[in-house]
Amino acid sequence: MSNGPVLAIENLRTYFFSRSKQAFIRSVDGVTLHIEKGKTLGIVGESGSGKSVTALSTMGLISAEPGVIIGKIGLKTETVQKNLLRDLKDHVKINMSTGRIMSVYKDSLGWQKKINRLMKGIRGKEIAMIFQNPKLSMNPFSSIGKQIAESILLNTSISNRNEAKDKAIYWLEQVKMDSPRLRYYNNPYGLSGGMCQRAMIAMALSSEPSLLIADEPTTGLDATIQSKIVDLLAHLKTSFGVTTMLISHDIDVIKSLSDNVAVMYGGTVLEHGPARTILTSDYKYKHPYTAALLSSIPSQEHIREKKKLQVIEGDVLDTINIPDGCRFFERCNKVTDKIKEQCEHTEPDLREVFPGHKVRCFRFFRT
Amino acid sequence: MAALLLLGVSFVVFIILFLSPGNPFNALLKEQAATGAVSDAAKRGLSVPSSWYTQYLSWLGNILKGDFGNSIQTGLPVLSEVIRVSINTVYLTAGSMIMTLVLAVPIAVLSARRGLTPTNWFFTIFTYVVSAIPVFWFGYIVIYISIHQFGVFPLASSSSSQGWSWFHFMLPVIVLGLGNGTISEVVRYLREEMSRVFAEEYILTARAKGASIWKHSFKEGFLLPITEIIASKIPFLLGGAVVVEQVFSWPGMGRMAWQAAQYRDYPLIMGITVVAAIIVRMGSLMQRVVQIMVNPRASRE
Repeated sequence: MSNGPVLAIENLRTYFFSRSKQAFIRSVDGVTLHIEKGKTLGIVGESGSGKSVTALSTMGLISAEPGVIIGKIGLKTETVQKNLLRDLKDHVKINMSTGRIMSVYKDSLGWQKKINRLMKGIRGKEIAMIFQNPKLSMNPFSSIGKQIAESILLNTSISNRNEAKDKAIYWLEQVKMDSPRLRYYNNPYGLSGGMCQRAMIAMALSSEPSLLIADEPTTGLDATIQSKIVDLLAHLKTSFGVTTMLISHDIDVIKSLSDNVAVMYGGTVLEHGPARTILTSDYKYKHPYTAALLSSIPSQEHIREKKKLQVIEGDVLDTINIPDGCRFFERCNKVTDKIKEQCEHTEPDLREVFPGHKVRCFRFFRT
Repeated sequence: MAALLLLGVSFVVFIILFLSPGNPFNALLKEQAATGAVSDAAKRGLSVPSSWYTQYLSWLGNILKGDFGNSIQTGLPVLSEVIRVSINTVYLTAGSMIMTLVLAVPIAVLSARRGLTPTNWFFTIFTYVVSAIPVFWFGYIVIYISIHQFGVFPLASSSSSQGWSWFHFMLPVIVLGLGNGTISEVVRYLREEMSRVFAEEYILTARAKGASIWKHSFKEGFLLPITEIIASKIPFLLGGAVVVEQVFSWPGMGRMAWQAAQYRDYPLIMGITVVAAIIVRMGSLMQRVVQIMVNPRASRE
């Protein structure tokens, strides 16, 4: 029934204030993206590009002090429709003097209370999350089954303990855990990383969320386990059709699971569009960063023709001193003399260059 | 392990007693002429072993038979006497431990959750100041105030024949609870453990699924550190109890040990040492049991 995207993030900015440098670290700086119902959006980017912080901001789980989150995170499901950042700004005061931020005053208590009120009934119930490092992400002092059952009791209509247990075992079966009835009683340390991740996925799905955020679900696992987890996620995607935000730096994972892809760099989205166009290297409208990213990954073709891999020169963007112009300007190899001036001094906006495909690059439009 | 520990403790205390000046015979023969000759005659008459190791071994042999000997001062059997008064000491130390925790835990929990806000700063400094107060001084001040301001004589009667009143019970407990010097340590340790656990990834998971972080951090962030603190502070409390019992004439083990030391009542000192060591050992045993119950991994390590 619902029209429009389940999650629409508009111009999200998550800044952390560094006391020692007296400056904001702009981890997420103007992210705009949206996820359609039943689709998977893959978010890809280097470390430090703000992928995880975007996810944690969506969940209201940013706890560093004093951090500032502004923008709009619109969640629209069958039961809920609200901006998850509503009125949070009221709890922050920033003292500026001659253009520099001198100090930040944040009413942390009020902020935390407001966030918890806003997120009540959202966390777990509407949005569930899978983390990297499955072994550390499960409570080591409780059995995995109990933890899944707890999530079921908290977030679904089931309120009977035995029913919750049966349901937890059902979900353990769904994630292809071997002998789920026995595994129910296992503590996380008795399980391998891959099994823990299956349990985490079962726990996230068990609350039947409207949106699933998977933050690097395969990172930190063995290569063979990684591909099994990817297969499992693909299988679950077809059988349950959960709307998913999939975060990974691994393009292969993104490729095999996503319908749409957002490419992040330096805290912002450089390209947003359907997976098949973004992940094909010879597509006409392609951000130079995405092109460079794709050609830096070994493919069948590279191995066959013994081609050398391309390297993206330079370092990841310093998120304290973000330049005025395009964030990728320093490392871009596709700048032409015609647009150079513009690239260096004004930041291009994320503009639709083809229906459904947005790019932040002056090569495809002029302002 | 426990037996070895008791053996070691008793041996060390014995050596200290043996090397320290004075001996029970001087105390015993105080009324009479305590010359060397009389003392030696008493030794022979009581058939005391001559060398230090035969003395220790004969004591050890009797212990293994369950005989702790008789007090030199009173002539009463040591074991039953020590057990009788150790109950009072357990009341005092348990009560003051609870007192310490009642004060320290809320401060620790609050500052772990909310960070060092001005209020928490105040409370933390307060605990440091309280910890710096010497317990005997604090005890006398409390007695002074209660006599001169309230006209109540707060000393527990050493015979305790007229029974306990709450007032007599609470004052020493409060004094030892505040003055044992461990409050600031309890606050600091608990706060650090809790903040560490709050930063664990599984707490993030708990928040992400909408569960209570208190519930998920309880075992590692509260139960384990609390039992660890209790077990490790029992020796300090027993030490503090010696002073507080003396100040308040509390009929406990500490006071008895104090008197026994003055009279060079060797069998009594040794008996108290063994019972105190058993109490300390029970504390660490309790900690171990909780640890294994909470964390099944610990049992295999």
